[in-house]
Amino acid sequence: MATGISRRSLLKAGATAVGAAAVGATALAGCGKSAATSSEPLQFWNFYTPNPLRTPTSIAQGGWFDTYIADWNKKNKQQVQAVFIPNYTNTNKLQTAFAAGSGPDIFLISPGDFLRYLNGGVLMDLTPFMTKEAIADYLPGALDTRMADGKVYALPMEQEPLAIYYSEKVFEQAHLSEADLPKTWEDLLELAKKLQTPSRYGMVFEPVQGYYQNFTWYPWMWQGGGDAVGPNGQSVFDSKAAIQALQLFQDGVNRGVSPRTPVAAGDLPAGLDKGQAAMWQSGIWNVSDFRLRLPKTKYGIFRLPTPPGGRYATIAGGWAFCANKNGRNPEAAAKFCVEAVGSMSPDSVKRVADWCTVAKSDISPRKSALDLGTARGGYSSPVMKKFKDDIYPGTRGEPRYPPVIYKAISDAIQNTMLAGHKAADEAEIAAASIDAYLKSYEGAKIL
Amino acid sequence: MTTSVAPHVSRTKTVATQGKPGLSRKQREGWAAALFLAPDVIGLTVFVGIPMILSFVLSLFQVSGFGQYDFVGFGNYQRIFADPVFMSSLRTTLIYVFVLVPGGFVVSLLLALLVKQKLPGVGFFRTAYFLPFSISIVVVALIWRFMLDEQVGVVNQFLGWFGIPPQAWLGNPNLALGTAIAVTIWVQMGYYMVILLGGLQDIPLEYYEAARIDGASAWSNFRHITWPLLKPTSFFVLLTSTVAALTGAFDMIYVLTKGGPANSTNVLIFYIYQQAFQYGEYGYAAAIGTFLVVIMLICSTAIFLTTRGGRFSYGD
Amino acid sequence: MATETLVRTRRKMRPATVAQFVVAVLVAIFALFPLLWLFTGGFKTQTEASTGAFWPAHPTLDNFVFIFTQVPFLRYMLNSFFVSAIVTVVALLFHSMAAYALARLRFRGRDTVFVLVFSTLLVTAPVILIPLFVIVRELHMLNNYAGLIVPALFNAFGIFLLRQYYITIPKELEEAAIVDGCGHWRVYWHLILPLSRPILASLTVFFFLANWNAFIWPLIVIADDKLFTVQVGLQLLQDQVTVGGGANWSYLLAGSTLTALPTMIMFFILQRRLVESIKTSGLKS
Repeated sequence: MATGISRRSLLKAGATAVGAAAVGATALAGCGKSAATSSEPLQFWNFYTPNPLRTPTSIAQGGWFDTYIADWNKKNKQQVQAVFIPNYTNTNKLQTAFAAGSGPDIFLISPGDFLRYLNGGVLMDLTPFMTKEAIADYLPGALDTRMADGKVYALPMEQEPLAIYYSEKVFEQAHLSEADLPKTWEDLLELAKKLQTPSRYGMVFEPVQGYYQNFTWYPWMWQGGGDAVGPNGQSVFDSKAAIQALQLFQDGVNRGVSPRTPVAAGDLPAGLDKGQAAMWQSGIWNVSDFRLRLPKTKYGIFRLPTPPGGRYATIAGGWAFCANKNGRNPEAAAKFCVEAVGSMSPDSVKRVADWCTVAKSDISPRKSALDLGTARGGYSSPVMKKFKDDIYPGTRGEPRYPPVIYKAISDAIQNTMLAGHKAADEAEIAAASIDAYLKSYEGAKIL
Repeated sequence: MTTSVAPHVSRTKTVATQGKPGLSRKQREGWAAALFLAPDVIGLTVFVGIPMILSFVLSLFQVSGFGQYDFVGFGNYQRIFADPVFMSSLRTTLIYVFVLVPGGFVVSLLLALLVKQKLPGVGFFRTAYFLPFSISIVVVALIWRFMLDEQVGVVNQFLGWFGIPPQAWLGNPNLALGTAIAVTIWVQMGYYMVILLGGLQDIPLEYYEAARIDGASAWSNFRHITWPLLKPTSFFVLLTSTVAALTGAFDMIYVLTKGGPANSTNVLIFYIYQQAFQYGEYGYAAAIGTFLVVIMLICSTAIFLTTRGGRFSYGD
Repeated sequence: MATETLVRTRRKMRPATVAQFVVAVLVAIFALFPLLWLFTGGFKTQTEASTGAFWPAHPTLDNFVFIFTQVPFLRYMLNSFFVSAIVTVVALLFHSMAAYALARLRFRGRDTVFVLVFSTLLVTAPVILIPLFVIVRELHMLNNYAGLIVPALFNAFGIFLLRQYYITIPKELEEAAIVDGCGHWRVYWHLILPLSRPILASLTVFFFLANWNAFIWPLIVIADDKLFTVQVGLQLLQDQVTVGGGANWSYLLAGSTLTALPTMIMFFILQRRLVESIKTSGLKS
């Protein structure tokens, strides 16, 4: 039985494939969106509820959503149904759905993803459903990165500023007190060297490539007056400020005081508790984590130190509600988002305060909710008080860079920090690719 | 269990001599073939063929946002060769394939030769070597990320006994790709070992007996008996592991390093994923994907033509 | 297991064999140690889990209790089992049918069909993810078992391997059957399938493993948590690491242990037959 494959059959196979391609071209054009009726419940994709995993944290946070959704469904004809998406941040489920034209009606969005969805034309304008008073209630800077042309497209539920956590135990062993907390970058690295042991890192900067690493790095650049995109939409990345910030991360690794891989698998409370790190740059969310898991561990926080001639700055990220313009019932979806966290109704204000002080440990993005949270004692613990009064002033919202800009900066950070490239060269390369991108960029202002 | 059919049937290959088959029989055979092939052919067409064709169509468009398609013809393909990251990613892919495939093959072959011996507890060893293959890549990555941890990882502790300073296996661009390859070999070694073992056990013992009488060394045994007779199996293993290295690398890189540090493990298949899902460049990603599939198609066609349709035969 | 055999070895081992044995033991340690580390990890406390130590200082069953009481993990395991089993059985049937036609039947365009089938091996998930999603949506298979099962059925690897195997079966047997007036279906069902039992056994293991361990597609196609598979369940446990609420590494390690156990046990039971039977006979002349 001869089973040789002849040239002819290969040619035939090729011809079949080409013929099929022509058919496929017409098929792609016929991929329409399925018209949805408004009688179906609105799909709300999130990563809090209904969460099958039941921990005290997930119960508290999921409960906040459940209460609101039940309340909404009681009062409104248009029902809302929560859909739980595991690993929301790291999987491409949301994008796959939108790319295939079947995105959810309501979803949560982080600043890093904002422009993709806004420029992709899927975000509903929420402004018509809001009062002027409510828009003015947002703290300065808390809403900017979610707006375009004076219109609001997403409503933040929280603000999570970064500071530096330190282990009080390690400080005590080294006979250091609050007076010795570093004020400058050089102090920081020297102190890190002093606290460094073979089994302990002095100062943890985030080493893993990703949105989060960029997020932790931006404030160091801002402190020297630098930025990625200038006011006229041109690249200003190739600057002394950016270079010294890149250099800071590289110095940390080169002096051996900062890790190349996550410490304690990225678990900050465990890392400080076990003495695997002395100082660690991270966000306010660890406060509730310590409270729940390691209430006895003594830790402190301090402001990010500044470079010579620099000004203090930090960064705050946070999730925001938004509605799909092409969804089942976009008006109702918009109203749902506004009523959740963006209305002046007592319920809405209380909801934001509850979220930021009960379910989580965050700074509220709205003045009224921050006042309410403060009045109820949500910021009375020394750490939360310090976050609110000392760390938070000087916060800038997480920038909403499009993916190409994010990636250019990310590569610059990775190449200087871990591959040992020259900071000046990397800043120049990144600036060039940002420039090339901005030349053809059409879309909302990059902040 | 042997795979011989029945002892009384001669195993010589006969080109069946079948008089003159009637037309009806030929037709019947054609119909039967169509019915037998239908489920798989329809399924492969719907779930692989059509998506691939759609993906090719997509590669002719510049996709911006969600649903804006601008026809750009072969513009995306021209972009490929001007993209420095694509070039470095291609280099990474070639290193990955040309280290992993031969390296993995040698390891698996050595293991197969080892567990072919009559060692005490050989069944246990065979099972042990295969077990890593039975757990999911997600779990593999989880285990190794902990074991390779710079501060407290078992690997560095172990090397510390020999005075080797701790390394950041997954945080150092010079080490990360090698580490990913080593972890992949750990997963696959038992699987290919089992296949090669099957091939080794198919070699008739008489050959070795004859060689023993001639007083041949172990090495010459390997060179003159084992290696030539194992060729078809080796070829099969090399082919499937090359395809697996090019296409299956995605899962491992995705869970182990996400292409980092500093893009040092960014293989092509992961770069495609990045372009599509991190930058939203679906058209460009589809172009790179199509390009990759075409390259592999050319390679496998060449293999087909040289091996006469994947029919692995001795000697050429 | 190994030591027992050692005790039972009556003959003295030659130095060469001793050396081989030592190498075999070292490789076994290399293969098994990470798995042992995983199993001990499930018994660590949450704070200890991130430290990478081998032995838990205070072994606890809490993680496993949590996994079964606070997460419907058993349900996920049953989902995975159901999907993997169905896919394995149906895929083996389809693939062996197709392989029979490609190997034993003569018809026009056979080689063309085979080349096209083989070329689908070269297409990978990331390349076709979005079009595939669109097709599955149009077929109304999002968020149900069909969406997990149907796209996973079709893979050329099985067809390829079975065809190689069937080519070697001597023609005479079939001829005799056909002369006796059996139809092709009966030849396939009563002659070819029983003959391919060994190769089907090994493919069963591989298919089951592949489907039990699949994680990207289930995550995209399923939204309802009643349909989660174990791998999605693991993503869920991993999630708590990234979304506030702290790193539950210990839960993740326990969950991973539970995910790995069934496939390991299955292999353990089938290993003898597998190693005996995975003669890639199709590769022989």
